Amino acid sequence: MARANGGIQLEGIVIECLRNANFTVELQNGHKVLAHISGKIRKNYIKILPFDRVLVEISPYDLDRGRIMFRYRG
Amino acid sequence: MDSTHLPFPSAPFPSGTGEHAAAVTRIAERHWHALEDDEVVGRAEVSRRPDGRLFLSVDAWHGAVFDQLAYAMLAELPRPLYTVVDEADLDLIVQWERAGFAPRRREWEYVVPTDPRLTGLGAPSSPDGVTVLALGEADGGLLHALDSAIHDEIEATVGWHTMPAEVLSGPDGRLRPRPANYAVAVAAGHYVGLVRVTPLPRQPRIGLIAVRSDHRRRGIARLLLAEVLGWAHQRGNTTASADVHQSNSAAIALFEGAGATRTSSNLELVLR
Repeated sequence: MARANGGIQLEGIVIECLRNANFTVELQNGHKVLAHISGKIRKNYIKILPFDRVLVEISPYDLDRGRIMFRYRG
Repeated sequence: MDSTHLPFPSAPFPSGTGEHAAAVTRIAERHWHALEDDEVVGRAEVSRRPDGRLFLSVDAWHGAVFDQLAYAMLAELPRPLYTVVDEADLDLIVQWERAGFAPRRREWEYVVPTDPRLTGLGAPSSPDGVTVLALGEADGGLLHALDSAIHDEIEATVGWHTMPAEVLSGPDGRLRPRPANYAVAVAAGHYVGLVRVTPLPRQPRIGLIAVRSDHRRRGIARLLLAEVLGWAHQRGNTTASADVHQSNSAAIALFEGAGATRTSSNLELVLR
């Protein structure tokens, strides 16, 4: 688990793309979070697909919510 | 980061009030942070697209923090400013509208199957005398000339702004095309149409399909689409993606005719 600028960041796998711009991501520890994509990813037109490996920042206010900060290649 | 510098004030930004009062600091030329109890609870960034426009992004866990970050950015940046959101993300749209942004353009995101049994493009009839050069086979100089001619034709008619945001790039709205990313239609020895593909490993992306104005309505765009979908199918991709401006009825008909389904839409907002 990494803390970057105060936020908890974890790797995970996208397991479902939901219709309301959210994604279900299964973290390495098995926990599933509801995540949306960061503005930077949206701004750069980076597509998130099922089975993508991503870096998720967990909300400090709700550990079941997160934000996809990065999509790994491959 | 490009070499064009943005104003960078030394004065601090006002803190918010209420449950999620945060202190906003511009930590770099293009980055802002919102701190609450020494924790980063929001981030904002401005970046300049190749076409020169400034695009903003704000990530915050609470609307109040979003507002503070937006306030700090808008106070320091020149107009116009742009951002892009998923149209299904209603909360985010409301937040940007609260900051004064208004919708400017919309792009549909399509996913199109590559299997010819699903697309119906297995053996498209080729217009008389038209052949297609596969990805990587086009001459770079001739391709550049075709790309420029098509750009000028579009600019003179519906306007280049109706193209997908992904191709709205380059210092003057153009990028020098790389033959590896293009299939090209050839008629009587002349390049008359092109399709641009980004060969992403799991889902290739079709960025632009265009045909010279005097060769339209002959099925050349359909032929080009068949070429790249066939290429994607052979490399094992079951689908490809494409972005289409909402006003581009010809492109919408082309993709939907090939079995494409609309998956989402990007909404571009502007503050003038």
